[in-house]
Amino acid sequence: MSRKKRIFLYVASAILALWLIGPILWIVDASFQLDNELFSVPPHWIPHNPTLDNYKFIITRVPPPAYDYDPGIIRMGHHASGEALAAIPALKNSLVVSTATMALNVAISVLAAYAFSRLKFVGRDASFFFIMMSRLIPTIAIAIPFFVIIDRLHLLDTYLALILVYLAFTLPFTIWFMTKYFDYMPPDLEDAAMVDGCTRFQCLTKVVIPVVAPGIAATAAFAFMASYSEFLFAVLLTKTMASKTVPVVLSAAAINLDASYALASTTVVLAIMPPIIFALIFRKYITSGLSMAFGK
Amino acid sequence: MRGRNPPSSGYSGTRVLRLPWTGVGGATRRRHLYAYLSILPAILLIVLFTVYPVLYNLDLALHKNVLTQPEQHPFTGTKNFADLFKNPGLRRSFKVTAQFTALIVVGNTILGVLIALLLNEKFLGAKVLQVLILIPWAIPVVMAGIIWRWMFAGNVGVINGLLYSLGIIDRYYSFFGNPTAAKMTLVVARLWKDVPLAAILLLATLQVVPHELYDAVKIDGGGAWATFRYVTFAFLRPTLTVLLILETLIGFITFDLVYVMTGGGPADATTFLAWYAFTEIFTHLNLGRGAALAFIIALLTLVMAMFYFRTLRSEELYKE
Repeated sequence: MSRKKRIFLYVASAILALWLIGPILWIVDASFQLDNELFSVPPHWIPHNPTLDNYKFIITRVPPPAYDYDPGIIRMGHHASGEALAAIPALKNSLVVSTATMALNVAISVLAAYAFSRLKFVGRDASFFFIMMSRLIPTIAIAIPFFVIIDRLHLLDTYLALILVYLAFTLPFTIWFMTKYFDYMPPDLEDAAMVDGCTRFQCLTKVVIPVVAPGIAATAAFAFMASYSEFLFAVLLTKTMASKTVPVVLSAAAINLDASYALASTTVVLAIMPPIIFALIFRKYITSGLSMAFGK
Repeated sequence: MRGRNPPSSGYSGTRVLRLPWTGVGGATRRRHLYAYLSILPAILLIVLFTVYPVLYNLDLALHKNVLTQPEQHPFTGTKNFADLFKNPGLRRSFKVTAQFTALIVVGNTILGVLIALLLNEKFLGAKVLQVLILIPWAIPVVMAGIIWRWMFAGNVGVINGLLYSLGIIDRYYSFFGNPTAAKMTLVVARLWKDVPLAAILLLATLQVVPHELYDAVKIDGGGAWATFRYVTFAFLRPTLTVLLILETLIGFITFDLVYVMTGGGPADATTFLAWYAFTEIFTHLNLGRGAALAFIIALLTLVMAMFYFRTLRSEELYKE
C-alpha cells in the first residue's frame, strides 16, 4: 500500500470514527457535568469539575448537595428530576419486556421457520407470503385499533400487552431470517436422524438447533433490540411506571423544556448501555447472520 | 423468493383435486399436522395484531369518529378521505415527506457504499471501525433522536459550540427555528442511525467478490472507475436495491425522530405523513380522519414495496 493511500485511509477512518461515536462521547461527557457547566459558552470539552453526582442521584434517589448550588438543576424543580428518577424502573420494564419477547420470538420463529424450510404442505407459500406482507403495514396505520384491542383484553398498562404486540411485529423478520438460515443448511443430518427413528420435532430440537445456534443468537439479538427500541406502541399502551419503557420516559424528558440536560444525558447513557452491550457481545452472529440473509 | 424448494416443486404431481391430508397413509397427514401446528402461533399473533387492526382501521375511516363528539358515529363513506384531499395540509405533508425520503435514500446509498469500501480495505483501522459501526445501529431511534436534538440545540448544543469555537459563527444558531435547517437535523440523525446497517450489508456483499475479477479488469486495461463500475457496482446492485426499499419505507413512516426532535415544526416544515396522522388522532382527536390518513400511508408503502419487489425479481431473472 502506498504511503499516500495509507494516510488517506487513516484520515478517512478518523473522520468516520468521530461521526460514529462522537455523539455518544459527548453525551457521556455531559453526564459527568452539572447544568451550570454544561451551559458554558463555548462548551467545556473536558469537564473542569467532573462529577458522578448525576449517576448517584439516579441510582440512590438522594439529591447530592452540589445540586443546591446549580441553577440549572434547581430550575427544573421536581418534574424533570421525576423523569430522571423513573430511569431505573423504566430500564427494568424495558429489560423484562424485551427479554420475554426475545425468548418467545425465538421459540415461535424457529418452529415456524423450520416447517417453512423443510416441509411441503398445502398453503405453505401463501402463509409465508402472508406473514411477510404483514410487516409492510406501517405501525401508525394500526395504532388506534391496537389500543382498542388491548383495552378490550383488559391489558392496558401491562407487560403482556407490549410483549404480544412486539411479538407480532418482530416475527415476520425473524421467521424470514431463520427460514433463509435453514435453507442454507444441508438436510442430510436430519435425514439420517429420521431414518434412525426421530420425529420431526425431535429432529429439530436434538439435531438441528445445535447446528443453527449462531442463527438463533442473531434472531435473539434482533428481537431484543427491536422491542427495546419500539416507541409508538409503548407510548400508546402504557400509562404508569408499571409498564412505561425507556423510550417513553426518555422522550418525555426530551420534549420537556425544563428538563436538566445533565440529568437527562445521564439517563440516556444508562438507557443506551443494554443494546450496545448486546450488540457487541453478539457482534459476530449479527454480522455473519446479516451477510448470510442478504448476501449470497 | 426463498433459496431451496421453489413453490411449484411440491405439488406438480398432484394436480387432481384431493386434499393432501386425505392421502394414503398417515405420513402425509402427520406431516401436515406438524407443519400447521408449527406455524399456528405465528399466524394467530399476526392475524390478531395486523389483519384485524387493518380492517378495524378501515371501518374507523369510513365513519365519523371525533372523540369530542363521542355519541355520534354515522357512516360517512369516503368523506374522511375527501376532506383530507381537499386539505392543503396533506399535499404539503406529502411533499416534505418525499423530500426527506429522497435525501435519506441518496445519502444512505452514497455513504453506505463509501464506508463499505473503506471497511473493505486491509488495514488495522478497518477492524476497529467494523466494531464501532455497530454502535449507532444498536441505539434505539428515540435515543438517537434525543442525542442529536441536544447536539443541535440552540443553547447547550455541541455543534453550535464547535462552530463558535472555530469562529465560523459569532452567535449560537437556532437550527430548529429554520425550516430547512430543522429538516436537515432530521436527515443527519436518520443517516447516523441507518447508514451503519447499509455499510454492514454492502461490506458483506463486497467480501464475496472474487479477486480474479479485479485482475481481469486490470488486464483489460480498465482503471479504478472501470473496476468500480463493472465489478464492484455490479455485485453491490442487488443489495443496493434491498437497501433502497428499506430506506424508502423508513422515510415514509418516520415518526419517532420527529416526535423527539422537531415536533413537526417549525411551521409544519417537518410534518411528515406519519406525524400528520399522529397529530390528527392524538391532538385533534379526529380518529376517523386519522384512520383515513393512516390507510393512505399504508397503501402508499404497499404500492412502493410491490413496485420494488417487481424490479428486484426482474433483476434476479436478468442475472441468471
